[in-house]
Amino acid sequence: MTLLRVEGLTAGYDGRPVLHDVGFVLEPGERIGVLGPNGGGKSTLFRVLLGELDPFGGTVYAAARRGFVPQTERSRLDYPVSALDVALMGTLSRAPWWRPLRRSDRRFALDSLGRVGLRELAGDRFGELSGGKRQRVLVARALVQDAPILLLDEPFTGVDRPSADALEALLAELAAEGRGVLIATHDVDQVRAWDSVLCLNGRQVAFGPPERTLTRAVLEETYGGEIVALPGEEGAGILPPHHH
Amino acid sequence: MLQPFHYAFVQRGLLEVALLSVGAGLLGTWIILRGLAFYSHAVGTATFPGLVLADGLGLAPPLGAFAAAAAFALGVERLAHRRREGHDSLTALVLVGALALGVILASDVFHSGSNVESLLFGSLLVVGRSDLWLAAAGSALALAGSAAAGRRWLAVGFDPGGARSLGVRSAVPDGLLLGLVAFAVVSSLAAIGALLATALFVVPAATVRLWTRRLPPWQLGSVALVMAEGVVGLWLSVELNVPPGPAIAMLGGAVFAVSLAGRRLLPARRLLAVAGVALLAGCGVARGDGSGRLEVVATTTQIADWARQVGGEAVSVHQILQPNTDPHEYEPRPSDVEAVAKAKVVARSGAGLDDWLKRVETEAGGGSAVVDLGAARRDPHWWQDPRSAETAVAALRDAFSRADPRHRPAYRRRAARYLDELRSLDRELALCFARVPARERKLVSDHDAFDSFARRYEITVVGAAIPSQTTQAQPSAGETARLVGLIRREHVRAVFPESSLSLRLVRTIARETGATASSTLYGDSLGPAGSPGATYVGMERANADAMARGFTGGVVGCG
Repeated sequence: MTLLRVEGLTAGYDGRPVLHDVGFVLEPGERIGVLGPNGGGKSTLFRVLLGELDPFGGTVYAAARRGFVPQTERSRLDYPVSALDVALMGTLSRAPWWRPLRRSDRRFALDSLGRVGLRELAGDRFGELSGGKRQRVLVARALVQDAPILLLDEPFTGVDRPSADALEALLAELAAEGRGVLIATHDVDQVRAWDSVLCLNGRQVAFGPPERTLTRAVLEETYGGEIVALPGEEGAGILPPHHH
Repeated sequence: MLQPFHYAFVQRGLLEVALLSVGAGLLGTWIILRGLAFYSHAVGTATFPGLVLADGLGLAPPLGAFAAAAAFALGVERLAHRRREGHDSLTALVLVGALALGVILASDVFHSGSNVESLLFGSLLVVGRSDLWLAAAGSALALAGSAAAGRRWLAVGFDPGGARSLGVRSAVPDGLLLGLVAFAVVSSLAAIGALLATALFVVPAATVRLWTRRLPPWQLGSVALVMAEGVVGLWLSVELNVPPGPAIAMLGGAVFAVSLAGRRLLPARRLLAVAGVALLAGCGVARGDGSGRLEVVATTTQIADWARQVGGEAVSVHQILQPNTDPHEYEPRPSDVEAVAKAKVVARSGAGLDDWLKRVETEAGGGSAVVDLGAARRDPHWWQDPRSAETAVAALRDAFSRADPRHRPAYRRRAARYLDELRSLDRELALCFARVPARERKLVSDHDAFDSFARRYEITVVGAAIPSQTTQAQPSAGETARLVGLIRREHVRAVFPESSLSLRLVRTIARETGATASSTLYGDSLGPAGSPGATYVGMERANADAMARGFTGGVVGCG
């Protein structure tokens, strides 16, 4: 069963399109990396997929609930919430707004924090966790939502190496369970380990398996020729200008 | 030290603070988390058009206030839903609309009376039974709302974009939050007033925020701090004889400032101890007491003057309003309520000028004889006619004699002498105005304070610069232009600003028409001690002299 099918999508703001002619499919168990410069349309695509923004044209078919993992810097770090409180926000979509929290909700949220390896830190204040741990808490929140489709907005930005590895392993695990995962990123090398790559630069530059898609020509077109080529085989070792 | 809390009116204030504290503390945390501080400040003031409308249509003022607050909340919510801007700019937008609507309604549609905005000012010293119920309802709703929608309020504030993708349809819970804040703030108006509502709703929660980063202790701490600041503020208010609202606001600001400074220097526990000791050390204000004379309370300056004339040494007069104060900006002080409680005779002006006294009376226990000197009058400024003053003085004489029969002969003697003085004043003024040709007796002042005076001395009131009696009303350009035309056509020589209201408008009209505007009149109150208008007789003479000179270009005076 296809989780997500997008065809001929055009979207933008105030009548001005910023993203043209996007089409791809997400199957269960797949990880798709979304590459593109800032302002290339990644966020716009995510907002359309989340149902926040109506597209100008084209079709979006989503077979299941979508969970969103925002950049942690977009959340307020001085906010008076614990990791568990944040995970519990994932239960909100499943009940009417006046229904009180149930014990099963709490258990599910703790289990989800366990899945991302943070069960012991459930009572810690969210803002005091490291960037990588905050990112995993937000993944736990999406797990509590029980969403078969996960959208992650640059989850590896500002995350140290051990946390990034833990996150990478977690994404592999989630895909292995049959979820479809869409990951916006700037790291071209990382994308090579995933199933597909979607290159955006105001329009869809390319979509397909990384080994066939990530050619020098595609990357130049995606990043507008500003790429830095490192010595090595064709396509490898190419960094976009704002690689972190 | 606990003596202030023995008064029944202070106890009722304590109960009101306790009932308000749950809603104020709890909603305070949400107000800060969701950036609604300005909204919570604005919603009280935004009830103004509702008050004007209720007054004009003859409905109960709280009904108008709650309806206006609900409309305000709905307006902000709809705008916030459509445009993703911060609540501050949207609040400002709707507030400006509400205030403009209120001023237009007050000035041009209803010509509102002077007491229309009285609900915007409140006092913990005069809360009534219905205020207590409202406070309880506001707190109960805040509790229920927090329990039901609190997790959504939290999620939307945490990351608005993320919350939407969590399936949180924020419109209903967010509207609920705005509505609850509106209800709670309006239900606190009677106790604290629109200008100081944030002293309960924002300042304590902001203070506790400095000390904790967890929601449950923050909420509990805010409720406790609202209650503590309310109780201590009320106590300070009685000890220092200042109005309780400002006392609580100043205290809240001081606690916040000390918290902010102390947060860096000291661990929490030691700082609280220091603050407590400092507060306790600040008490020790001695209080005087009466001396066996007949205790009389007079609401206005002129009534206080009459009471002193009639009572002499035998009475002790507590005068509530001071010279040149605006009666509707009055907030009762503890000493006022205490004086009414102790008084044998309470004399009020009536006819809409001092309606707030009713609440002071019920609060004080109502053991005193209340003399409404203006009971049969329609003009709030009836006392500008000396013959009405005669009636009032006779009523005071009778009230004093009933309450204190021992001094009856002295009251009769003094009253008879003063009544003679008033009668000769009346004759003197009538003779004086008789020397002014009838067609020159044309009065333009800044509001309708002189109808009774003008009727007595056959003066034609051509117009007033401010079309109604509330200070919130403003004249329209068209009305001012009409008045200028009228002044030119009627050859009015002088226009009169009144001492307690703004001079600028009348001066503008004078410049426009070539009339003089050099003498002011005493309209709402006597002048301060030492001025020509310090006594009733002096005030009437000064007004008559200024008018006669103005009418005749200085040819006739009544000096």
